[in-house]
Amino acid sequence: MLDGIDPKSAVPIYRQIADQLRRSVAAGLLAPGDRLPSVRELAGRLLVNPNTVAKVYRDLERDGLLETRRGDGTYISAHAAAMAEADRQRILAERLEAVARDVRAFGISNKAALGLFRDALTNRRRERGDSR
Amino acid sequence: MTDNPYAITTHSLTKRFGRLAALDRVSAHVPRGSIYGFMGPNGAGKTTFVHCLLNLIDPTSGTAAVLGHDVVRDSVAVRRRVGHVAALQPLWDWMKVREFAGFMAGCYPRWSQQTVSDILSRVGIDQNARIQTLSRGQRALVGLAVAIGHEPDVLLLDEALTGLDPIARREVLRNIIEAMHADGRTVLITGQDIADMERICDHIGFLVNGRLILESPLDDLKARVKRIGVEHARDAAFDLPAGALEIERSPRETLFTTTDFSDDLPTSLAGPGRRVEVRDLSLEDIFVQLAQSPTEAVR
Repeated sequence: MLDGIDPKSAVPIYRQIADQLRRSVAAGLLAPGDRLPSVRELAGRLLVNPNTVAKVYRDLERDGLLETRRGDGTYISAHAAAMAEADRQRILAERLEAVARDVRAFGISNKAALGLFRDALTNRRRERGDSR
Repeated sequence: MTDNPYAITTHSLTKRFGRLAALDRVSAHVPRGSIYGFMGPNGAGKTTFVHCLLNLIDPTSGTAAVLGHDVVRDSVAVRRRVGHVAALQPLWDWMKVREFAGFMAGCYPRWSQQTVSDILSRVGIDQNARIQTLSRGQRALVGLAVAIGHEPDVLLLDEALTGLDPIARREVLRNIIEAMHADGRTVLITGQDIADMERICDHIGFLVNGRLILESPLDDLKARVKRIGVEHARDAAFDLPAGALEIERSPRETLFTTTDFSDDLPTSLAGPGRRVEVRDLSLEDIFVQLAQSPTEAVR
């Protein structure tokens, strides 16, 4: 679910953890009703400040992705599935924006860029062996 | 006193050794319940700061208070509530771990052998082992376990991670995280390894040549210090905001660092034919840029 964080990254640790949780839900690795480790447990596992983990839980709860059941820990909320769809699109849009920036910087035409993207999708489909 | 949000405060704390100011008017604020990373290059004055808090040395001028107790006038009260781990702590080598813990227990009115034993058994250290037979990492863990035996409200870790191999370091980090999670315990940790500090600290103080040039919650720091890239027409004139640091100009792009970022900045820089890009900086980048810049304290 959480594959460790990179303290050297320019992305703040808070955001790394929040993004990984969101991505895990978006990818279906975490489903509504799944229980998350306690703040202390996750902080110990990732070796990060417990206050940071507590803040991620608090903020994601406010956003509706998580819910805390009193005295019983933190769970993926029932709304998470609906949010996951929006998150999938947002995550993809963010990545594509970064790619688009490179496309502009390299001076590649829209047509060539779209061709490369289509190729990438095609290659990926072959790898997975599905015919969608 | 109970309303004081800070576990440690110093006011213009100065320590001179002859002509050298090891600490130069340091005013630090360590919030209760935080893990505060007190960072800086070798010789910056980090250990001198810790020694002042423990009243192992007297400040030349200025004051320091721990949990509201003045460190000079109330040094006994301070030491009762503070745990201390130093990198090369002289543990009594010929003692068994159990004897060393017992010896330290005698120094405090309150002692929880259970706390010490729990940590030692969790990390697999035999209390009947002689300290001289332990690895460096194990000694660090013994030092940490014993430092929280009197259940201190403040833990001072002076270079506690320095010189440890990666595995020992993870183990010590894990135990620091466990130790601080006790209610409201405050941890001040000195060191140089930025990646470790970035992992576990929520507040950062940066000391250079005895001066605290920066003190900030880590999140704020990262939100305020950004690298900005502006792409523009070839050789186009364009005004940098006040306080721009580390300016790099090339014909089509100008890069600079700001310590005062807000969302308004990219808007104010944008214009026809210009594209503004905001980049996050790692803590390491931030320190390198601030240490090189002549600007005064960033708060």
